[in-house]
Amino acid sequence: MDQVQILNSGILEQYVLGELNMSERQRIESAISQFPELRSALEEIEISFEKLALENAITAPSSVKAHLLENIQQADAKTPVVENSFIKNNYLNIAASAAAILCVACIYLYTQLNSSSSALEMADKQNEELKGDFEDLNEQLVETNKWFSTVNDPDTEKYVLKGNALSPTAVVIGYVNNIKRTVWVNTEQLPQLDDEHDYQMWADVDGAMVDMGVIGKSGNMIALDYKNNATSLNVTIEPAGGNDHPTVSQLVTTIFLR
Amino acid sequence: MTNDKALILRLQNQDENAFSDVYDYYSDALYGVILRMCKDEEISQNLLQDTFMTIWDKAHSYDFEKGRFYTWAYRIAKNKALNFLRKPDDLIQAEDLSVYENRQEEEKASIDVLKLNGNIKNLEPHHQEAIKLVYYNGLTHREAHEEMDVPLGTFKSYIKQALKILQQSYLKFISFWAILIELTK
Repeated sequence: MDQVQILNSGILEQYVLGELNMSERQRIESAISQFPELRSALEEIEISFEKLALENAITAPSSVKAHLLENIQQADAKTPVVENSFIKNNYLNIAASAAAILCVACIYLYTQLNSSSSALEMADKQNEELKGDFEDLNEQLVETNKWFSTVNDPDTEKYVLKGNALSPTAVVIGYVNNIKRTVWVNTEQLPQLDDEHDYQMWADVDGAMVDMGVIGKSGNMIALDYKNNATSLNVTIEPAGGNDHPTVSQLVTTIFLR
Repeated sequence: MTNDKALILRLQNQDENAFSDVYDYYSDALYGVILRMCKDEEISQNLLQDTFMTIWDKAHSYDFEKGRFYTWAYRIAKNKALNFLRKPDDLIQAEDLSVYENRQEEEKASIDVLKLNGNIKNLEPHHQEAIKLVYYNGLTHREAHEEMDVPLGTFKSYIKQALKILQQSYLKFISFWAILIELTK
């Protein structure tokens, strides 16, 4: 749009009245900065409207001005103070927040540390217990393996010693290996004795009863001492801890070896 | 009427006395615009106050190169009033021009103060009406030419002619005073 077009189009009037959009406004503004003629035409329009407005002024109540002056003075007086205290408060708030966060974090970490160390302690204890259990089981396994291999050995002879009238329910199973010279007995079916008595096993060697060992109250498979040239196995009830000589009246069972 | 650059520069530097002077100079003219648009004294006073708070806060953004200070202030006042009139409550009335017109007619009768004065009265009625619609009712050219039921081009020429006549009468007024001042010397 050239100068003449702008002058004739009535767009300057619309510009003064604020009816134009951003791009139209920018076009007019660049045109008036380029062409003094447009500039003075614009000013004539502005002055006409301004005159019109002044001629048609309506007196506003003085309270409006009083209110405005109060507002801007208050804003003036308040602004720096408000800003300062705001900034100061802000810093204080930030510092306080940071401290609070640190505090909470410390407490949290401390409790975490405590609980982890107690958890660690517990795990250690459990580990220890498990280790003990494992060792026990291992021992048992070694033991079990031992008698298992003995029992399964083709050279092992199995003897079932049945209780006599004194202890009719008693059964002792003996495993004797004359090649490897081992004796194992399964005492699972021996009736329980009181604390003051134990079962004891004897071998008949050349007519004499030779001590093979006390059958302990714990465990079902027990290894006893192997005796050369034994002709029979005998179980007696003896005072707790065993006896040097068998109490024959307390003989529970006997079996002759092959 | 003033376009005192020094005064406006002081205003731009947040000088309260300059603000007071600017208010004294333009507030009644702007109140005349706002009250004729809103037709409610209390609302118009609030909008006038709002307008001057914006003038105070945004004075730094006024650019001398882009027009007169009053033109800038007028646009602020007009936008405030239009924003108020276009609020949802007023939407129906603002959109329905016939309702708008009826409301105007009613209020014109009751509020004598809203009548236009000065040189505009020397214009032909259709010129007066055109100026009133765009300047005091806040209509755009597009809305106003429909309101007057004349083509847009015709409407634009009404505005141009009206302004020319106003300008000439102001020039006559100034030369009258100039002669008067000459005579009194």
